[in-house]
Amino acid sequence: MAMKLWSPFTIVFLVLIFQESLLFSAMADRKFIESVCRSTPSTNLCLKTVLADPKSKDADLTGLALIIVYAVKDKGNKIIHQIKTLEKHGRPELRPVLKYCERVYNTAVTVDVKLAVDALTLGNVKFGENGMADVVVESRSCEDTFDQYALKSPMTEINKGMEDIANVARAIIRMLL
Amino acid sequence: MTTTDLEHATSYSPLPDSDHHRPPPSQWRRPITLLSGIFLFMLLFSSLIALVINQHGQQQIAGDGTPLSSNSAPAAKKVLEPISRGVSQGVSEKSNFQLSSAAAVVETYPWTNAMLSWQRTGFHFQPPKNWMNDPNGPLYHMGWYHLFYQYNPDAAVWGNITWGHAISTDLINWYHLPFAMVPDQWYDIKGVWTGSATILPDGQIVMMYTGDTNEEVQVQNLAYPANLSDPLLLDWVKYSGNPVLTPPPGIGSKDFRDPTTAWVGPNGKWRVALGTKVNKTGITLVYETTDFTSYELLDEVLHAVPGTGMWECVDFYPVSTTESNGLDTSVNGPGIKHVLKSSLDDNKHDYYALGTYDPISNKWTPDNPDLDVGIGLRVDYGKYYASKSFYDQNKQRRLLLGWTGETDSEAADILKGWASLQTIPREVVFDKKTGKNILQWPIKEVEKLRSKSTVYKKVLLEPGSLVPLDIGAATQLDIIATFDIDSTVLEAALEADVGYNCTTSGGSSSRGAFGPFGLVVLADESRTEQTPVYFYIAKGTDGVASTYFCADQSKSSTASDVVKLIYGSTVPVLDGENFSMRLLVDHSIVESFGQGGRTVITSRVYPTKAIYSAAKVFLFNNATGITVTANVNAWNMDSANIK
Repeated sequence: MAMKLWSPFTIVFLVLIFQESLLFSAMADRKFIESVCRSTPSTNLCLKTVLADPKSKDADLTGLALIIVYAVKDKGNKIIHQIKTLEKHGRPELRPVLKYCERVYNTAVTVDVKLAVDALTLGNVKFGENGMADVVVESRSCEDTFDQYALKSPMTEINKGMEDIANVARAIIRMLL
Repeated sequence: MTTTDLEHATSYSPLPDSDHHRPPPSQWRRPITLLSGIFLFMLLFSSLIALVINQHGQQQIAGDGTPLSSNSAPAAKKVLEPISRGVSQGVSEKSNFQLSSAAAVVETYPWTNAMLSWQRTGFHFQPPKNWMNDPNGPLYHMGWYHLFYQYNPDAAVWGNITWGHAISTDLINWYHLPFAMVPDQWYDIKGVWTGSATILPDGQIVMMYTGDTNEEVQVQNLAYPANLSDPLLLDWVKYSGNPVLTPPPGIGSKDFRDPTTAWVGPNGKWRVALGTKVNKTGITLVYETTDFTSYELLDEVLHAVPGTGMWECVDFYPVSTTESNGLDTSVNGPGIKHVLKSSLDDNKHDYYALGTYDPISNKWTPDNPDLDVGIGLRVDYGKYYASKSFYDQNKQRRLLLGWTGETDSEAADILKGWASLQTIPREVVFDKKTGKNILQWPIKEVEKLRSKSTVYKKVLLEPGSLVPLDIGAATQLDIIATFDIDSTVLEAALEADVGYNCTTSGGSSSRGAFGPFGLVVLADESRTEQTPVYFYIAKGTDGVASTYFCADQSKSSTASDVVKLIYGSTVPVLDGENFSMRLLVDHSIVESFGQGGRTVITSRVYPTKAIYSAAKVFLFNNATGITVTANVNAWNMDSANIK
């Protein structure tokens, strides 16, 4: 009977059990991510952003929040680059507003993101929520300033995109409160 | 392998040796084959499931990442409800702006130096630059009031938290001192966070504070003055055995902060409280100690309220129901109620409730469980958080300090180089007339800043009136205004006005039969920018009138990156009382006190036009059905010395 324990069938059995548990644990992580993202205002954007980061595999809620916060930073940096391009090659009358937008996006990317990362790691989460809420304020004020100079904004899509990802970050951070 | 097979096998008495190592005969082979078949099937089946789920998931995100509109709209509305920051209401501001000249547009927006430097206050406590938040360890010692506060020495945003320190003889004029504590130990290297002082009967001062450790665990530490006979309490010593408290079992390592002032229990031991949470229930833990270095966690919590989330900056203190003086934190007995207050992490507001404390069971019970801590009265209905009281043994008062943050954008804070104020200290007493709330009133010392006084008597405000008040410079003011109405008109009214809410009912331009009426401050001549503070009386279906006290920031600025909410709540108005409000206007802060401090609202405002000499004050009555008679006493306020 003892010899039979290590028969091929038993080995196959053990391997299958192991594979099953890995599979179910991966499905459980995926389920966790999906339930978190479903509670944000942009489920698909949340999923796309989180799943693109390999750290999402075994991230807890704080980890997921940080993934989105870093995505906000990335997006912000890309937008600043786009603003600089617009400043160089766009219509000259847009320049004062673009300069303003560059400044507020710099705040979003350096100050707000750092605030959120600090708040999440140090354990005073509400400041992180404030940080991500402010990203929305900054991108909206960039958009509104074109209006206030009676100009058509060339950044409407871009600003909306930033708002969306910042609101996802904010929603996840609120789950930690 | 069943028992019948076994029995069946043994009856065969197998041949020795030859059969022993061979696979079992066919009746054994069948169950094994069956089992492995099942396992293989399970493997294939679950792989198939995983594949299907994966594919399904990928299809959902194969698009450009934009959400399905049906999914996102309701959820977005819920999450975007402004909590501490928000943006303007869009259309009306825009159309106003387009009417002004192009030159004005270019000049006034974005923020100019003139606009930003105007925002600094004249008589509210603030450090010369950078970020401040919670008031810490307030106390009175050897002729000086001490204020410590959360401070970031490096930026105008929260981080690297250190204990700032300032002293005053009158709580109005302050001297800045060097930092009392910096993050220099493993147990507070990630932040020297909020704490409270306890003055022992022999005069010793014990400071308990939260430290964020090198591993981001929240712990409680002990510190004390290096030299108790130093009236300035310049230097502080951290206890060598810190931390004295670490998160207990069942409490998160990031949910354990803000120890209170201690009070004496019935057994002569000291008790200290800490707010925390278990799931979504906010609770207050109590520890006992004799020496402030070793503690015992009491089994029962002081109190808990489900659904309120994390309780920060818990404050627990007695008030006399018969006398007008404040009480030391340890006092208990007949004629005394206890206030339990908490700052709610979830919505960044301070709540309190009055109740009874039984020291034997260490339980606090609210007078009205429907208005329990976190679900009932707020200490302040505006931008106000992390408030902390202390017993001023010098004048036998219970004094309350509170942190008021900015409601402009972070970019503006970085530009101007500072963020946050402390409110003017308030004296707290039990409201003997209503028996259901506390009264908060600016300390008498603030009146020494009053300079020129302007009095208006019996100003008749017909429906739709707007009366400018000629009081000179209108950015530093102390205004007391009372309003009388003909109560018979109110009583005779048949129609009910239900569902009024300061925040959602449209502000000062939304006219009802019996409101709004009040003052308008920080308004420019044409009132493109204005901050009205008003009463609105609404008669219920039961014929009973409710009075609302609101501060309206919806048109406080033409800038688009500042909060423009309307704050406020009901305020009790008893028979025979007229309507009274007191406003402390100090550049970008307005503290409004309704009915002697029954309802208090702190507002932050950032006008671009109604600044410096352009700021004006008006009386107004936008009610349609009553005439209001107003009496105003307005004082221009000198600036305090804060250096």
